Amino acid sequence: MAELELKPVRTRILTPEDNIVDAIIEYAQDDIGPDDIVSVAESVVAITQGQATRPEELKPSFLAKVMCRFVPQKGSLSSCYGMQAAINAEGQWRVFFAMIMGFLAKIIGKDGVFYELAGRQAALIDDVTGTMPPFDKHIVYGPDNPNGVAEEIKSRLGCFGAAVADVNDLKRAAVLGISSGLDPERLAQILIDNPFGNASQRTPIVIIKNYGKVEAAAQAKALG
Amino acid sequence: MEFLFGLIVLVVVVVLSVWIYIVRQGDAEFEFLVDQRTEFTLVDMTENTATFSCKVPFVNKGTQDGTIMDAYTRHLLPYEQYDGVEVNSRLELETAPRTDGYFEALIVPKTTGQAVIVTVKLTAKNGNIREALGQMVDMPIDIVYQIVARSEWYITKNRLVMKSQEIAKAAGLKRAV
Repeated sequence: MAELELKPVRTRILTPEDNIVDAIIEYAQDDIGPDDIVSVAESVVAITQGQATRPEELKPSFLAKVMCRFVPQKGSLSSCYGMQAAINAEGQWRVFFAMIMGFLAKIIGKDGVFYELAGRQAALIDDVTGTMPPFDKHIVYGPDNPNGVAEEIKSRLGCFGAAVADVNDLKRAAVLGISSGLDPERLAQILIDNPFGNASQRTPIVIIKNYGKVEAAAQAKALG
Repeated sequence: MEFLFGLIVLVVVVVLSVWIYIVRQGDAEFEFLVDQRTEFTLVDMTENTATFSCKVPFVNKGTQDGTIMDAYTRHLLPYEQYDGVEVNSRLELETAPRTDGYFEALIVPKTTGQAVIVTVKLTAKNGNIREALGQMVDMPIDIVYQIVARSEWYITKNRLVMKSQEIAKAAGLKRAV
């Protein structure tokens, strides 16, 4: 009986000059079968889309300089550049409104309201040091249209499905984009141990082998 | 009128409170402790080259975490002062050594620090490093670093001096008088 197997794929450092689907074809096509899912790291997808900027390229506004002061130090928006990047992506009034609401919500003991209201990019931005060299000196946004990227991977590779995932070593996994018919929660669970490894391992692609077969077998078993 | 006055008072109170909060919060404050560096020691020596290194601690003595975005050495040996050697210098984090001269951006929590290893390679222009070291002069080396924290990024530097007598001693040479 087929079993799930996670197969990380090592690549060169991918840059904005690369296309993520072409890179998957270059490095992993021979290992990908019709029952497999291809998952890619969201930061690398974003970098190949040119969704990165340097602090030197941003001019932080007064609002960014003030609002970043109210973000805990570990957060990516705790520098005025991270905050400015969020403002550029989501709009200053949206981020400002989210900050006010988040502050009020905190008073009554509710966390996470700021990130719920400030928009997708506010939650996905990685500040400097968040990505491996040479992008350690960059602010990296979340990927653009991750569902579309996943669909393109599936269609060009002929695999069972594809996903764009944000996984770290702290046992946090989120699937940001997914091809149709897949369960993001299930994939997040499969990827929870961060098979992408740490940044220096340069494995932005993970093939989830035999996913289709395993799911079919599980469904057949459930149906008796 | 009373409502307007109340509104103005409220705005002033909020602005003042935010300002006091920010001032009290402070920011990161970095320093490379060049006066606490170790002596230069000889790492490698050939017929025409000598390589020395020393350890320089640094600290974030501020009240907020901060990031060293970049750090590098800038040696200052104009030919008008001494033309006997070519100089190459670099630094690397003590806990993450690498020889490519690239400094990976590093978050330094408040009131903590680490150390960098400064490496200086001298190449004798006449092919005889022992002779060249005998005439070498004191050489300033700036540690230049870029910081980003709560406030806008900035570049600053701290200077150490590589003493000619120090490296002559490390290389086991007697200085020419």
